[in-house]
Amino acid sequence: MNRFQSALENLSIPVFAILLGLLVSAFFIAPAGLSPIDTYTRLFCEGFGPRGCDTFGDLLVVDIENEDTGAIEHHIGLFYGDRGHSLAIVLEQATPLILTALAATVAFKAGMFSIGMDGQFALGAVVAVFIGYWLPAQVYGVFGIEDPDTLSGPLWWVMHLTMPTIAIGAAMIVGAVYSWVAGILKVKLNVNELISTIILNAIAVQFVTYLINGPMRADMNNIARTERIDDTAWLVPFTRGILADVDWFSGSRLGIGIVLALLAGLFVWFYLWRSTAGYEQRMTQGARLFAGFGGINTGRAVLRAMLISGALSGLAGAIQVLGVERRIVDGFVLSGTGFDGVLVAILARESVVGLFLVAVVFSGLQLGSINLQFGNIPRQLGGIIIALTILFTAMEDFFRRTITRLQIRMKSVGSKNSSLVDTPASGGD
Amino acid sequence: MTTAVEMRNISKYFASSRTLATDNVDFEVQQGEVHALVGENGAGKTTLMNILYGLIPPDSGEILIHGKPARITHPDDAIRLGIGMVHQHFKLVPSFTIAENIMLGIEPNQAGFIDSRAESEAVRQLAESFGLPVDPNLQVQDISVGMQQRVEILKTLQRNARILILDEPTAVLTPQEVHELYSVIRRLANEGRAVILITHKLPEVKAVADRLTVMRRGRVVSKDEVNSVTVADIASKMVGREVILKVEKQAAQPAEVVLSVENLLVADNSGLPAVLGASLEVRAGEIVGIAGVSGNGQTELVEAIAGLRAIDGGAVHLLGEDITHQSVRNRRTAGMAHIPEDRMSTGLNLQTNLDENVIVTVYDKPPYAERGFLQRQPIRNLAKKLVDRFSIKSARVGEEIRTLSGGNLQKIVLGRELNGAPRFIIANQPTRGVDVGSIEFVHQTLVEARDAGAAILLVSVELDEILALSDRIAVMYEGQITAVFDPDTATEETLGIAMAGGTIGELESAAITEVKVS
Repeated sequence: MNRFQSALENLSIPVFAILLGLLVSAFFIAPAGLSPIDTYTRLFCEGFGPRGCDTFGDLLVVDIENEDTGAIEHHIGLFYGDRGHSLAIVLEQATPLILTALAATVAFKAGMFSIGMDGQFALGAVVAVFIGYWLPAQVYGVFGIEDPDTLSGPLWWVMHLTMPTIAIGAAMIVGAVYSWVAGILKVKLNVNELISTIILNAIAVQFVTYLINGPMRADMNNIARTERIDDTAWLVPFTRGILADVDWFSGSRLGIGIVLALLAGLFVWFYLWRSTAGYEQRMTQGARLFAGFGGINTGRAVLRAMLISGALSGLAGAIQVLGVERRIVDGFVLSGTGFDGVLVAILARESVVGLFLVAVVFSGLQLGSINLQFGNIPRQLGGIIIALTILFTAMEDFFRRTITRLQIRMKSVGSKNSSLVDTPASGGD
Repeated sequence: MTTAVEMRNISKYFASSRTLATDNVDFEVQQGEVHALVGENGAGKTTLMNILYGLIPPDSGEILIHGKPARITHPDDAIRLGIGMVHQHFKLVPSFTIAENIMLGIEPNQAGFIDSRAESEAVRQLAESFGLPVDPNLQVQDISVGMQQRVEILKTLQRNARILILDEPTAVLTPQEVHELYSVIRRLANEGRAVILITHKLPEVKAVADRLTVMRRGRVVSKDEVNSVTVADIASKMVGREVILKVEKQAAQPAEVVLSVENLLVADNSGLPAVLGASLEVRAGEIVGIAGVSGNGQTELVEAIAGLRAIDGGAVHLLGEDITHQSVRNRRTAGMAHIPEDRMSTGLNLQTNLDENVIVTVYDKPPYAERGFLQRQPIRNLAKKLVDRFSIKSARVGEEIRTLSGGNLQKIVLGRELNGAPRFIIANQPTRGVDVGSIEFVHQTLVEARDAGAAILLVSVELDEILALSDRIAVMYEGQITAVFDPDTATEETLGIAMAGGTIGELESAAITEVKVS
């Protein structure tokens, strides 16, 4: 009962925040001569609805006239995707966000306010791309294969399995090591992790930008870009692979990455809440004296957390290039995915389950706001709505207090009566 | 005499801990009296006073100040009505001078610039007029705790407080400072002020108060003239039963040496030497008490023995094994347990639940962990066992411990540390901020552990506690063990002289039977 109540309370807060965000946004939308309701409809349809969604109703139930019989068929909005569904794109965009938010959560849960996800993400991406095009070329060289399209048999299988694995593994290792640097600076020299990760981010982003414009530049394209990864290293999206017949996914590059993100979420949850290592780092967070007093090596707990955090950011970078982008184009590393992940982790209050929801809602609002322009609504308005929603979500304490106050008002009479039964004489100890 | 404060039917319900902190409480204080408000931890004393000071809004009831109904919704209202409060934990700015702290918010200024000379002068005059001399230009971080308290009191007087609330004012003071405080309190009352003294130290009530109100579980259980009741009366009213104030224990049967400390050198946080060649031994089956004025190296000594502070010289042996540079983990494995001074941040993690607090010393050992994963059921069983065995009221398996009272929190620490029959136990201020009922329990538990063969090192600023529990008393002064006493012959007076750095001559003239200087 208690747990259920608190879950309900936790869930009601973001809903409140979004509603308030929308309400206040109306003050920006109305002066632009637009209808707030229309704007919200577009925002949510583009962000969360099936293709062709026009009303809030379409988000829930879509009515379609059957072309053959002329009868009206009802479909549940969430699963109806005859011409594709926004949520497929949302999930594709939420994948790196989920992973960097997990990375941030693991670091935060060790008392490290690390925001180094951007740098680790960039390095992970560049390593994965490099291995994605360079390593297959070496293998072809060794086996004397002239045209990769002729690849077949066991080698095809081996390469399709090993190339992504090696690329992902290398990206995770590089991300982990880069994150570890901030950890060791903190543990050994007490360097503030916020400062060190900001600096490390700047270095990584500059370095990757140099690589793309310099040694790794593939051609004389207007915007500098690397070579495209080999097909064997490609994490093929569902629409090109096993789920090609499912229209729901069409238009998205959603693929195995979301599965890896889910697995990473499961791993992080078990690690944090069920393993002794997770216990060590959680006790280190916010109760460092207590942890040290109990015999926990807090420095080691912090370093372990930073390694895992960095590996997750590196994984995010690898998935983004191996599954979605397939090459790095100049500007990619400035996308701010890592920083958005930090934001998601904070909004989710370091909850592993919560961050999945927040990441999806965040990506949905982002997609919806970009697509507002198709309805002749300036996309900047979408940005304002997102910003206000985040602001109100950050006001969580205010909502919580309000809810508690309401609860007291409802409960206080009942509890007073019950306490009268519990006379002081009734218990000695 | 007129009534300074009258509180009628005050009720306050805390939803977070589901308790009625004060239940229809009536409370009144006359002008010119020292009124003690006593009760166990969690009895509602502090809540009641926080309501009076405007820190907590009451759910119902009314407050009359000097006979007039008052609406107090904020400390500003209370200050305007002449109410001043000195909190248990001082609220001073360490880097500011005494004058700056006292005049904070009401600085004399010229065109917005603080006139610091006028500030010092005003404070000097204020201090002199009340006979509480201070040097207004000293920084608060450099002055003693007793002096800080004086600054807090002056701060309320500067704001013309006619009603003074002192929350556990002697908790942090040395015996000498306590006596000084008593005379200050008396003087303030004699000038016609009303002084409310929140305390659970009963000798203090007898020493300084005129009347007292006893609270238990949110209710007022008695109002008396102090002269008409005994300490035992008050104690039994507080806990609702008779309390044994003297610890019942057999003579110690000291056996082999468990802990030996030789010429220990330890630095404090700022790198200055705090322990300067201290040596001592603790044998199995005995309690060695360390008496001393706070800040003479006790904290650093304990932390060094416990492995929480680097040792710069000397050696620590536990059961013959050199543990001078061992980790906390290895020391605990070797049989050490530690009840720390600060249970709020060191002894417990208040941000998590009971289960995770009780396993911090065993979380990676079977059956609580298997192959790196925490085992839910054994952990819950352990928590349940400790809650039952140590009768930790209102603590529940798997629930947060944040809202528990000081006494119950200390029982959690005690239960965890004594679980598994440690060979050596450090008990640092084991009853600080703990109510009478729980003090008795803590003392009995420690004596039981001693009788079971544990060696116990007790550190406490409460001389009563040291005298009641110890089988040997070592006095620590300026980083050294300067004298060792037999508790049967030592008195508060002789100990007090040694704690203040008294010479051997002074000690002898105070008729000490056994003095051993290391």
